Amino acid sequence: MKDLIKQGLRLGSIFGVVIIFLILFGLTSTLSDILGEFVNLESSTRTGNPGGLIIFFAILSLWAGSKATASDRSNWKPALVSGVSVSLIIALLISGFILLVGFLDSLDVAMRDYLAQLDHLSIQFLLYGRDLTTGVLLTFGIFFFFGILGALLAYWYEAKQAGEVIQKQVLVLKEKVLDSKLAKQYKENPRSKWIGYGLLGLVVFITPQFLGKYWNYAMGTVGIYVLMGLGLNIVVGLAGLLDLGYVAFFAIGAYTAGLLTAPAPLPLQIGFWPVLFFSIVMAAFAGILLGIPVLRMRGDYLAIVTLGFGEIIRVLIRSDMLSPYLGGPQGIRDIAGPSLFGVSFSGKAYLYLIILAILLIILFTNYLQNSKVGRAWMAMREDETVAQAMGINTLYYKLMAFATGAAFAGLGGALFAARNQYTGPADHTLMVSINVLSLLIVGGMGSIPGVIVGAFVLKGLPEILRELDLYRLLVFGGLLVLMMIIRPEGIWPAPRRRMELHEGELDVLPPEENLVGKEG
Amino acid sequence: MSILETRNVTKRFGGLSAVDNVTLQIPEGSIYAIIGPNGAGKTTLYNCITGFYPADEGDMLFNGKSLMGLSPDRITRLGISRTYQNIRLFPAMTALENILVGAHPQLKSNYVDAILHTPRQRAEEKKALEDAQDLLNFVGLKGKGDLLARGLPYGEQRRLEMARALANKPKIILLDEPTAGMNPNESVTMMRFIESLRDELKITILLIEHDMKVVMGISEFIYVLDFGQLIAKGTPGEIQKNPQVVESYLGRGAADQHKQPSKRI
Repeated sequence: MKDLIKQGLRLGSIFGVVIIFLILFGLTSTLSDILGEFVNLESSTRTGNPGGLIIFFAILSLWAGSKATASDRSNWKPALVSGVSVSLIIALLISGFILLVGFLDSLDVAMRDYLAQLDHLSIQFLLYGRDLTTGVLLTFGIFFFFGILGALLAYWYEAKQAGEVIQKQVLVLKEKVLDSKLAKQYKENPRSKWIGYGLLGLVVFITPQFLGKYWNYAMGTVGIYVLMGLGLNIVVGLAGLLDLGYVAFFAIGAYTAGLLTAPAPLPLQIGFWPVLFFSIVMAAFAGILLGIPVLRMRGDYLAIVTLGFGEIIRVLIRSDMLSPYLGGPQGIRDIAGPSLFGVSFSGKAYLYLIILAILLIILFTNYLQNSKVGRAWMAMREDETVAQAMGINTLYYKLMAFATGAAFAGLGGALFAARNQYTGPADHTLMVSINVLSLLIVGGMGSIPGVIVGAFVLKGLPEILRELDLYRLLVFGGLLVLMMIIRPEGIWPAPRRRMELHEGELDVLPPEENLVGKEG
Repeated sequence: MSILETRNVTKRFGGLSAVDNVTLQIPEGSIYAIIGPNGAGKTTLYNCITGFYPADEGDMLFNGKSLMGLSPDRITRLGISRTYQNIRLFPAMTALENILVGAHPQLKSNYVDAILHTPRQRAEEKKALEDAQDLLNFVGLKGKGDLLARGLPYGEQRRLEMARALANKPKIILLDEPTAGMNPNESVTMMRFIESLRDELKITILLIEHDMKVVMGISEFIYVLDFGQLIAKGTPGEIQKNPQVVESYLGRGAADQHKQPSKRI
């Protein structure tokens, strides 16, 4: 009993302190706004409608309460005891905190000078727009009540074995679906794979029609990151060369497209299509140029040199000295977009163009992966010395890996510049390289679907949760750390990588994923 | 005519001559062995022949063509394969993929073929896959092609490494302690296997080996190294009678046989 209370108090204080931090960061009001919008309460810090905040607090305390009973859910008594102790301490901490800031606010202490989030309006919001006593008591009540409710619900869930029951039903349902005639026909038909692809393709091609202008733009950005992710996947995922300056090739693609099509700083104004091709070639060429000096480097040294290369490119395009040729800090304006049969591309058409580019690149990546080139890259990643002893010209294949990855990034850069009709140094910071590498890690290194999922998570989610934009870096960091702990292989890993990280659990590649098992 | 020849090869590390003025001649279609105590320079000599260490002096000829100054991949492509004392497979690739990497020099398609998936590349890939499967069966790993190399038991890893070396269709194969860590039964199987390479595939064999039973059992001719120098050469019968070898090596070698294989370096 004593242990339970102690445990509950400890957990409660952790939760309490974390929630206070969330309030101080201002994350509470942001999340309440989102929740409020979600249930159509029009609640927000501005309107002063506290519905979202109440829901947010209720969810937090339900969660805390259910966590509290994790150690013993066999009986309702221990569940209740730990639930009460957790919710009591959280309720005391939070309402105490709100009492403190509310009291200070009523004395007109300007806390805002020290903590940006604690202005008068936000504090009023935390008090649900009521007076101090009511607000504090309400907070206490919410946390206490929902905390205990959470504990009891968790107990009930366990006692009724609701989890298992639901799981069983899902399994039964799954069996039924899989055993159905249609499913069998689908599985036995060798062409069914193409039906799946066809449906997917149809969805991909119809979706942009229903997206608004903003979403088309956002999805286009995601798409460009998918392109870069696929390129870096070859360099890092397949060939094992850690490249931290990947943005350089993106910049070279974008600037080649920009300089050759824009009226200034160079009055060339060549059409988009030949320039697109030229951008890819330039980026690939830059990839080889970077590759030559770093050929004999491995691991950390390679990472540092590539990092430097990325920065050099950024500094060059920013420099005043080169601004007559490269546009300097202002960048390049009025970059020409593509046109087909006299019709120039608009938002939707760009998205289609990007999707087409992605499909093409996926096809190429797939072919490369399942060829002697892909195997040579993998062998180099595994053991460079032995790879060379197998007759693989490691210098050549390293250069090809750099060039291929760079070409994909160059394509992405050219499309990016043409779509925005502008590109400048701010588009090509180190952050881009880090984003692309992060999306590989989050999605799953070496896996094509992983790249797509990763790009959606890292570039798409922030667009969806636009209000959370301020916290993107925080969320990034948290997400990456969490990923490394819970699922080091990524969200949608390549089967081979899953095997590497979960040794012994599965040591056979499923035939359809086997590189060599594929019938071309 | 010798398929592989070294002439006065010397390799120094600092002041130490790891390989000192060594001259070997390996005739085509033979099984030759190099023996010598630990640290005698046997593996260093292999590394010189395969191009990983540039030899400081001397010359090495393969079918009359000098190997000096060639990169390891070029040398492999000429038809010289090797295995390693401590097995060095590509651990996170499957058995079949390991063999296919070994077949790399045999595949003529280039990067453009690969990225465009040309009919020529597809045909070649299909053929390579069949050949790799055959090799897998040849070394007795039938049905294990989709297993990760590092998941295989020790003996099978040795055989897989051999298959990978064979995928290059070598003219000569340099084996580095092929029976290390094997029990007497396994050693005998390996001996028969090595002989079959020569008899069936017409591959010349050079091996480094500590197990005297294996060395005396299969080699036609033996070179003895000690402190980097060639101290004796001859048929197994001659080597067994050579007083210098018996004194400096065979006595120790016989004792070595009872030691754990992991203790050998």
